[in-house]
Amino acid sequence: MPTISFFQKDFEDLLGRTVPPDQLESWLPLVKGELKDVTQATGEIRVELQDSNRPDLWSVEGIARQIRIKLQESPPAYPFLNTKTKPKQRILVAEGLEQVRPYVAACTATGYTVTEESLAQLIQVQEKLADLYGHKRKTVSVGLYRLPRIHFPVTYGLVKPTEARFTPLGLSEKLTLQEILTVHPKGIEYGSILADQPLLPLLWDTEGQILSFPPIINSQDIGQVHAGDSDLLVEVTGTDMRMVLLTLNIFATNLADRGAVIEPIEVQYPYDTGLGKSIRTPCDMGAVQKIPLKAIESALGLPIDAELVQQTLRAYGYEVKASRHTLAVRLPHYRSDLMHPVDVAEDVAISRGYDSFVPVMPAQFTVGSLSALEMMSDYIREHMVGQGFQEIFSNILLSHEELVERMRLPEDEQVVEVDNVMSQSFTCLRSWIVPSLLRVETASPRAFYPHRLFEIGEVAIPDSSQELGSRTAVRLAIVIAHPHANFSEVHTCLDVLMFYLVKDYELEPLTHGSFLDGRAGTILSQGQPVGLIGELHPEVLEHWGISVPITVFELDIDWLCAESS
Amino acid sequence: MQTTAVYDSLHPLEINLLAAFSQSADQPVSDSSLQELSQLEPSQVSMALGWLQAKKLVSIYSEVVTAWVGLTEVGHRYLTDGSPPEWIIRTCKQGAEEGRSFTVKDLQGLNTFPPTDLSRAFGLLKKEGAIALVAGGRIEPTDTPSPTVEKLRVLLHELKKSRQELLSFSPDQQALLRQYAVKRGSAQEPFRIEERIQREYTPTKTGKAVAKRCHAGSVEEVSQLTPDMLKDGSWRNKRFRKYTITLRPPRVAPGRRHPYREFLDLVKHKLVGMGFQEMRGPLVETEFWDMDALYMPQFHPARAIHDVYFVKTPTHAKAVTEPFLSQVAATHETGGSTGSSGWGYRYDKERARRLVLRSQGTAVSARTLASNPLIPGKYFSMARCFRYDQVDATHATDFFQIEGIVLGEEINFRTLLGLLTIFAKEMAQAQESKFFPAYFPFTEPSVELHVRHPKLGWMELGGAGLFRPEVTQPLGVTVPVIAWGLGLDRMAMVALGIHDIRELFSVDLEKVRTLRGRFA
Repeated sequence: MPTISFFQKDFEDLLGRTVPPDQLESWLPLVKGELKDVTQATGEIRVELQDSNRPDLWSVEGIARQIRIKLQESPPAYPFLNTKTKPKQRILVAEGLEQVRPYVAACTATGYTVTEESLAQLIQVQEKLADLYGHKRKTVSVGLYRLPRIHFPVTYGLVKPTEARFTPLGLSEKLTLQEILTVHPKGIEYGSILADQPLLPLLWDTEGQILSFPPIINSQDIGQVHAGDSDLLVEVTGTDMRMVLLTLNIFATNLADRGAVIEPIEVQYPYDTGLGKSIRTPCDMGAVQKIPLKAIESALGLPIDAELVQQTLRAYGYEVKASRHTLAVRLPHYRSDLMHPVDVAEDVAISRGYDSFVPVMPAQFTVGSLSALEMMSDYIREHMVGQGFQEIFSNILLSHEELVERMRLPEDEQVVEVDNVMSQSFTCLRSWIVPSLLRVETASPRAFYPHRLFEIGEVAIPDSSQELGSRTAVRLAIVIAHPHANFSEVHTCLDVLMFYLVKDYELEPLTHGSFLDGRAGTILSQGQPVGLIGELHPEVLEHWGISVPITVFELDIDWLCAESS
Repeated sequence: MQTTAVYDSLHPLEINLLAAFSQSADQPVSDSSLQELSQLEPSQVSMALGWLQAKKLVSIYSEVVTAWVGLTEVGHRYLTDGSPPEWIIRTCKQGAEEGRSFTVKDLQGLNTFPPTDLSRAFGLLKKEGAIALVAGGRIEPTDTPSPTVEKLRVLLHELKKSRQELLSFSPDQQALLRQYAVKRGSAQEPFRIEERIQREYTPTKTGKAVAKRCHAGSVEEVSQLTPDMLKDGSWRNKRFRKYTITLRPPRVAPGRRHPYREFLDLVKHKLVGMGFQEMRGPLVETEFWDMDALYMPQFHPARAIHDVYFVKTPTHAKAVTEPFLSQVAATHETGGSTGSSGWGYRYDKERARRLVLRSQGTAVSARTLASNPLIPGKYFSMARCFRYDQVDATHATDFFQIEGIVLGEEINFRTLLGLLTIFAKEMAQAQESKFFPAYFPFTEPSVELHVRHPKLGWMELGGAGLFRPEVTQPLGVTVPVIAWGLGLDRMAMVALGIHDIRELFSVDLEKVRTLRGRFA
């Protein structure tokens, strides 16, 4: 989740008071924020915000607002949400955009002179919202413009890729949309959002000046805001109406908190949007929800007075009307994360402070236990330690080469493979444990011999009869490595283990690529194969770069539990 | 001191040596004579003499320093090629026969000897009149022989076979040897003079008394008591060598649990002690159990191809068990019957079957919720999980998540805090803990647990919360459920003294054999 950076002074200005050292950190639980670092010399503060459903908090304005509301114990009013005045400006949406990028929202912000610092903050919010909330601009992207240059109404329409030309941000020459997609860094980065579209979205004003090519790039002359500008247009486009509106609401509120006058814009669609064809933006979508007080009480584990809950929630930005048993709550316009009464319960807890709750020990009696598999594993681990073996604990993503080729297994040997490989060293789940132990042998020729190693752990066995196409099994493997390692020695280890497991077994000669012929066997219990044993083929040792003989066995553990339970 | 006690403490080498003193009637004996008398190796003699002196049984009687002279490698080369002055005369004479003559520079250009050796030789030959310099700086041998050349030749041959005492040479020769001997800073000389110290030793008063009891081979000294000795009683005539027990013993590699797994065993037993029952789940999971059932919307940013490992074949599970699939789908879309608004998007049932490597232990909890869990009930799992991360000091390819759930009518935010307080005490021996609001897609309220560890100070120990009804109800659970997860690897790493998470799964056997730490 996002980490944002801001300056102490800016934060104090937004909060309307000075902030003593350490005070900020004590407030951060209100915004689920974690202080990453503070640079004393510059006053720069970095905070990580945890809640992916609260994009309104991903800015210094949002953090300051949440804390300010708590300090003032009630939310401020935002006059731009007043629907009685008719918006002065319009954006006209053209036909066809419902197939490409259907929604747009915008407002103007005047009377606040942008500083270097606030410009940096505006850009930071723009980037975090478009990147994380807007799925790398796919669902939502944001544009900022110099208002005085724009002649309304603005059109949000579609053009052919070679039809329109403008100078994009960062360049000095005019390019067609087609060229921007192939040449401009942002075109290359975000072009895939518009892949296979015969017509591309464009914003232009009544004089034909191009504002931007959403969601790719703004124009150099109208779409580049500088410190000193005091009149702005903010525009959001995207594929999800509610997310587009919420994003604009957050931007408008942030600018209003800095002192700008926000004027709504009316967006007129030729198609239905779910919220009508003509929408005034910013727009308060919040609906009143009725929540039984009991839901809050049972979630938090204590009786709460309705009046108190009302105060607590108002001090967190909610609009609340409390009756004896019910709360009528409404989220502020810059939030849309209320899905269930438990969300309100958490906000009550956060607003009150987690420290104000007295922990209660869970009292109901339960019986603790390990699974039969874990108990059997532990029994065998203890036994193998008694036989003088060192336990190994491995990572279980290996390479195909380690699992198959080096082991001289047929190329079509089935293993669970990863589709989106990150590194060629980690492409498969291990299907047996011996290769894990050979990784240790390869890495440890200088550790004094003999090496007696064992590991009990999970493997994934491809199995088309299973719902998941594979099953997870628990196996024991041992490796004996020293200059005189031989079959009889490893056989003895198996034999004594089986004796104490009270299991009869026999060995059936086995031809297997990993082993020397005539020195390998399948371990059978009551006629069923439960493992294998043998002396590794010298070519296997060569593949692994090992220069001592090695004998191994590998035994299923699951069947031991199945029978004993 | 009692001579018996002293005698008993003697090493056989010491006894041998004292016996040798007895043989020489307590007269001073040189180390070379001691070597002959005792039949011991020179190193054994010097070792035993050292011990005996330390025990004040033997003292140094006299010390004679003798100088010995021998040939260096350069000396051996002079034997075959001639010394530099000899070579100059020979080369110039040969040249004269062929009608050629050389300047000093010409000879230096042949690179046979270092320039400094040559200039010293020129100086010498000129002084002795064996050469003359004529017009153009050319060298002309005269008929006058050089006495030094002759003397050097004699000395080189004298020392050809072995080193000799310096004093065995005439004073004249000694001077020459010293002149041409290796000195600090000039390795290129033919002779090397070494000083050897020859000492004579004599037993002290106690030494003489003890020596009387010492006869080489008088008592058979053995190192190992054998069954035969016990059978025939012959151990009575044996002397058992006394060991230096202060030395370190040889190393062995015992059978041993893996230290990280030992740590996890401890955690596991604590959890069982707190009434938790172990649950297990598959390594390969469907997106359904790994994420959908946990109310993570299918468009959630942490579900992208860069966050989770997808399985190559088969790509999809055959089916996801009903009615869970439909109930979860409805919850994502509209909230279903959970009282939630849902995420409000179209749920993709096909995607729910997509197979992934389990990315979070909570998947195991989700499966448990759907399997008629005990109520009240407590469950935990230690689940191997996989994240699509570059491997580095803080990220392993796969790792263990210690997670669990608590189900019951009594479960609420305060019992959640109560449980976390127990964890703080049991898992980190912490007397102080703090709770912070946190965010997880599947819990509300969510808590982060910070504890004051007695050694590590304030640290984050885990995350927890109450499962959202959108998680529990579609899986058939109607009571509140705590979901918790503990991050204990840091404690394990500190206890084991390692700084790289990859070392928890080290393939270096020496490392595994020597890793140790106390966890409790």
